[in-house]
Amino acid sequence: MTPRAAVYFLIILFSAAFSSAQESPYFVTYDHHMEEPGNLEVETFSTVGVPRSGPRAYFAPYMEMEYGITAKWTSELYLEAQSTRGDSTVFTGWRLENRFRPLSREHWINPVLYLEYENLNEASRIQKEIVGSGPEFAEPNSELRHTRAHELETKLILSSNTHDWNLAENFTVEKNLSQNEGFEFGYSFAFSRPLGTLASGKQCRFCRENFAAGAEFYGGLGSTNGFGVRGNPHYLAPVIVWQISDNASLHFSPGFGLNHESNRVLFRFGYSYEIREFGSRMARLFGAKP
Amino acid sequence: MMRAAIVVLLCFASIAIAQNYDYKPDPNWRAPYSAVAKPNPLASRPEATPGGKKLFLRNCVECHGEEGTGLLKKHAADLQLPAVQQQSDGTLFWKVTNGNPDRGMPSFSKLPELQRWQIVLFLRTLSFQSSGSK
Repeated sequence: MTPRAAVYFLIILFSAAFSSAQESPYFVTYDHHMEEPGNLEVETFSTVGVPRSGPRAYFAPYMEMEYGITAKWTSELYLEAQSTRGDSTVFTGWRLENRFRPLSREHWINPVLYLEYENLNEASRIQKEIVGSGPEFAEPNSELRHTRAHELETKLILSSNTHDWNLAENFTVEKNLSQNEGFEFGYSFAFSRPLGTLASGKQCRFCRENFAAGAEFYGGLGSTNGFGVRGNPHYLAPVIVWQISDNASLHFSPGFGLNHESNRVLFRFGYSYEIREFGSRMARLFGAKP
Repeated sequence: MMRAAIVVLLCFASIAIAQNYDYKPDPNWRAPYSAVAKPNPLASRPEATPGGKKLFLRNCVECHGEEGTGLLKKHAADLQLPAVQQQSDGTLFWKVTNGNPDRGMPSFSKLPELQRWQIVLFLRTLSFQSSGSK
């Protein structure tokens, strides 16, 4: 990490310490807060990666539709794509994930179980999670797009709220059902805090309560063919979210590669919009009585 | 690929339609004694109430309505009722924090602690509104 990057990171940390946004600022790490039942959150996120050498910079946008089925069950659909400078733009596939919160009350540590099915090709670079040795960068999109991967991914999500800080830890296991790659592993840790803990009485865009900041650490842990932190990508990424209205937020995270296997930087940014009462609206659309 | 995406979208739509909004008061939704006895740290700061109203409108109004009377279709509690207003600040804070996920009330632990207390502060003002508004 460069000295300038370290200064930016410290500034964000410092501001967090003095300081409400409700949206989680994390891009990779999950906490235990579920989507509210009946609400649909539509999110458009992007990952811009700048590799250290060799392959060119890429842009990987993805759309996420998160629906609260019940207060303990959230489901999400992802559609993703990727564009590499000087190469091509390809649709890289879709994912369907489910998160279940087994315990009804808040505890010191709140577990959430996560199960995801992925139907992707090898050109996928959104890096919503990093497992094994990370995505493939050496081959051109024209070749990668033909290699399909049907994958199952599970996570153990542990998350705690203490003194307005959120601490979250995720451990990921992924199995490619299309190829014999063994089980691949990944991790992420994150912490965040709202910049303002008391809500002002007026509607305001730039109040401190509308911002939350923190940091994520995430990376690959190899596979059953070779487990460990060495030889796999790892990132440190400050994160910030700005709640621009009651149901919309902007997210930003500059991630810094911590070793040679990582990209030099991974910029992540996105916009999310929550459609309240989506379930009831859909029900009315299909003829249910109000 | 497109067909698969459409199937998944339809699955989402069917899940949304199949939701059960039936609500019955849960006699087992009780705050522990340590929570019941907690005082509201903002009790002497009425100027924090408008912030509580803003949070209520942002987070609670979908189910409880702007007046807090509870939407029938959501089977949500009428927050003006004595059965609610007679509960201690600590109890209301505990219920906002933990929710009752098995009955459809989400947890609002994602809000900072003071903001949850602000919501409790605002809930107290609901009892002074017209009781005939339901």
